[in-house]
Amino acid sequence: MIDAVAAEALKMRRHRGTWLMVWIFPIAIFLIALASLVYYQFAPASPPADPQSAAAWIADSTIFWRAPGSAPGRILIAGFSALLFAGEYSWNTWKLIIPARKRWQLVVAKWAVAVGFVFAAFALTDLISLTTEWLRSLQGSAIPEGVTLSGILAAHARAAAYALLPIAYATAFATLFAVLTRSILATVIISIGLVILEGMLGLLGVFFHARAPDLTRFLIETLPPYHMLNLIEWANRKAGLVSPLGPDASVALSWTTSLIALLAWIGLAMAVTLVRFSRQDLN
Amino acid sequence: MHSDRNEIVALELRDLSKTYGRGAKAKRAVSDVTLSVRCGEVYGFLGPNGAGKSTTIRMALGLIRPTSGQVRLFGSEVTDRDALGRVGSLVDGGTFYPFLSGRDNLRVLARTRGIDGWRTEEVLERVDLTRDAKRKFKGYSTGMKQRLGVAAALLDDPDLVILDEPANGLDAAGIQDMRKLIRALADEGKAVFLCSHLLHEVQQVCDRLAIVSKGRLIREAGTAELLGTSLRLTIEARPMDAALKVLETRRPIAAPSGHIAVEGTSEEAPAIVRELVAAGVDVFRIAAEEQNLEKVFLEMTSDPND
Repeated sequence: MIDAVAAEALKMRRHRGTWLMVWIFPIAIFLIALASLVYYQFAPASPPADPQSAAAWIADSTIFWRAPGSAPGRILIAGFSALLFAGEYSWNTWKLIIPARKRWQLVVAKWAVAVGFVFAAFALTDLISLTTEWLRSLQGSAIPEGVTLSGILAAHARAAAYALLPIAYATAFATLFAVLTRSILATVIISIGLVILEGMLGLLGVFFHARAPDLTRFLIETLPPYHMLNLIEWANRKAGLVSPLGPDASVALSWTTSLIALLAWIGLAMAVTLVRFSRQDLN
Repeated sequence: MHSDRNEIVALELRDLSKTYGRGAKAKRAVSDVTLSVRCGEVYGFLGPNGAGKSTTIRMALGLIRPTSGQVRLFGSEVTDRDALGRVGSLVDGGTFYPFLSGRDNLRVLARTRGIDGWRTEEVLERVDLTRDAKRKFKGYSTGMKQRLGVAAALLDDPDLVILDEPANGLDAAGIQDMRKLIRALADEGKAVFLCSHLLHEVQQVCDRLAIVSKGRLIREAGTAELLGTSLRLTIEARPMDAALKVLETRRPIAAPSGHIAVEGTSEEAPAIVRELVAAGVDVFRIAAEEQNLEKVFLEMTSDPND
């Protein structure tokens, strides 16, 4: 199994698509950080800003772990997953590797590389960001008192753990679309459509609740978009998402409910992908 | 020891069928194909375009699920990874990752198979691709892609090598090298399942042949047997009517040139001459008409309705 993962990593690490959709995060942050360090080195001293609390500073420093849950982040993750899975159809290379290993192992190896690469890219981005903050402190931008290494580590570990869910969610569904459509473009388009639809969830909920209240509530409480957004809200604000449906109606669920629901959806998407792929004819 | 190995059935297809689509749109691509390939032999699989050769190969590699029937590799189901691990294949002229070099493509495949990469250089050398191994696959010529495909097929030192049109895109020297390589593989005790439309090449390299048409296996025999049984004798004899009457049981065909063609081998020629002479027919000439695979193939696969 480790060999299959290593093969996938070897294959994808230098692909242009990986640079554009995964390594772009640490590279962009590195360039921005470099530019800001150079700027502050030569810029005239500005009056000190209002001091930030240690908790707020630490919370702000985890900002890059929110990117996987954002719309652009999820689209890029879906694009990379599309490349990883649907690419094999485009290059006609499934028939090269399928006789070499069990189909489920190939799929699991691809999931591991998709999640692993994206997670590694964000971890690297986070590290660059923290290093930049430390270098800025040497340039005179003080780190608030009370900020400790253990505090930073705990907050970043928690933020990273929360980020795993949107990464797994985007990957699982993009994989499913890739196996069903066998096309990179179609997978990306459907994934973008899903992200847009999720963004319109509030509006759609209000619109349809006026016509079919029970069905609308059932769909919102069952389908994954609300749960994804609810968990992101819990991660960012320590409070859940209240999705209004009408004057006296709203959906507000606990983070455990959303976590279970989302894990179930991710599991279902993965299971359908495995079953569909294991029965697929590759001409 | 070698002969023991040659008794091993590497690939066995039993009543293998594949139907695409359902209901009125159903199309039967392969119908009840049964054959077996032993270690140490080169088995030719021939058929016109659309005969079901590629579908059969894909079923043998587990890429396509058969509608009915069985594929057995070294006595095991095709789903058995250990058995499939003993198979090397070249399909579709070598499909590889266009953004990787030839060498990296083989490394990826070696890793996927879970084997050491040390054989990569050996197989690149064997197909004469070492010099171009650094180049990206998308820049390869058709012949180079084909050779890389063969290298991939040989990567894990397989016991069964399935080659779908391995000579496609090769020049004359390349075809000759390929022929030698295929023969050498069989001499090493490997089973080679060869699908090719270059009938002259197949005739020279294969020990046994199967001919498929419209999804059905219409003939399976040793190459010599297939060509031998189809031998024809051309006879020049007078009077023609009397000669035709004597040869009636051999289904004679009177050609406009005045010759008579009958089915038969050169070993049968003396007996035929004796029969004709005994019936008072003068025999001026009798000669075996050389058959080649192309002729046999076209006769077997031609559609009488066309």
